[in-house]
Amino acid sequence: MSDNNKREVNRIKELESINLSREEIRDFVIETKKEVEKDNDLLAKQLNDELKKRGIRSIDIVGAIGAGKTALLEKIAERLSKKYRILVICGDITTRVDADRIEKHDVKTIQINTGRECALNAYHIYQVLKNQDLDNYDLIFIENVGNLICPSDFKLGTDMRMTVVSITEGEWVVEKHPMLFKMSDVAVINKIDLLERLGTNIDKMENDAKNFNPHIKVIKTSAKTNENVDLLIKTLEL
Amino acid sequence: MKKDLEEIQKIIGKLELNSKTQIKDLLNYFLQTHLNRNKVDNFIGDYPTFIEPVHLEDNVRIGDDVLLGPNVYIGKDSEIKDYVEISNSIIFDNVFIGKNNKLGNCIIGKNTSLVCENINVNNCVIVGNIKSKEDLYKIIYKFE
Ligand SMILES: Nc1nc2c(ncn2[C@@H]2O[C@H](COP(=O)(O)OP(=O)(O)OP(=O)(O)O)[C@@H](O)[C@H]2O)c(=O)[nH]1
Ligand SMILES: [Mg+2]
Repeated sequence: MSDNNKREVNRIKELESINLSREEIRDFVIETKKEVEKDNDLLAKQLNDELKKRGIRSIDIVGAIGAGKTALLEKIAERLSKKYRILVICGDITTRVDADRIEKHDVKTIQINTGRECALNAYHIYQVLKNQDLDNYDLIFIENVGNLICPSDFKLGTDMRMTVVSITEGEWVVEKHPMLFKMSDVAVINKIDLLERLGTNIDKMENDAKNFNPHIKVIKTSAKTNENVDLLIKTLEL
Repeated sequence: MKKDLEEIQKIIGKLELNSKTQIKDLLNYFLQTHLNRNKVDNFIGDYPTFIEPVHLEDNVRIGDDVLLGPNVYIGKDSEIKDYVEISNSIIFDNVFIGKNNKLGNCIIGKNTSLVCENINVNNCVIVGNIKSKEDLYKIIYKFE
């Protein structure tokens, strides 16, 4: 970078930090953020009321990248697609890879590509459901974009939230992400088929989740060997 | 798809001849028949949010924070500015949609330019060069 460029970058940084520390702009930023979250929560509540009124069950799945959200959904779809008429809404930055995987198990899928947004919000779900004939479904799953941070800001209007992590992420992954576990009903620790190899302290993961949220139900699964997949389905009351 | 698009373009060129329900049916028929759920990656600009199905022809330019879908077709060389939201609509070739406009169940004819900003329109056909909200109310064709 040339000296000129460096100076320009510093000038911009300085300007921004001055602006952000100005009271009225700080207030404005905070107000806007609050408004956005309030609107989202309101819409989520409306969505949930509408789904409940129609007797449709709904569950959203959040979790780390590659923790096994889609793999578990595949197993669930495989077991339940005869019992329920299922719609799965898949959130990803781009591609329809996950939706294609899940659709193989006789359920309807809709892909949302969020582009630069790191999580789905209630408005996305509203747009999808508005354009569906809801009489065709008894059960809706939403797989959020893989990450443990942004989804905690946005409720989606489901009855239940399930957070998925896996032992390959290490035993500190729960401890480092309190928000999602606080707002989840079920925590899944996946890939337990690898436990012997990795030696991850899975008890610590379970305890951390329960410390953040005494009501959370913790299930340890393997989407590969099917261990505890049926227990998970039972825990989701399906 | 090409044939149906030409048919729709012809019909919206002489609107008074047609019943309102016919246009609505045409729009819905097109969106239900011709949109597939392939990945969309042939646009120019920032990554928008897509709710499938969305079909973009070549050389579509897209601004920041745009939400497209479900059920959207956009013709070639069209430009969609920042914060625009479109669902259940056909946008023909070479159309310009100004900032923060929201369109639902609309057909926007070829070469139309919607320069005005912050409008929210549903169930209508728009053809021409629209510089202000007043212009829009003069030419808009509501079909519901
Ligand atoms: N060994 C093992 N591998 C698993 C298990 N569950 C998932 N995997 C593998 O982990 C990888 C990621 O799984 P996905 O189901 O795509 O994970 P995801 O959470 O949906 O990922 P994103 O949607 O990309 O965030 C795949 O290669 C799966 O086959 C498991 O229980 N055991
Ligand atoms: Mg996935």
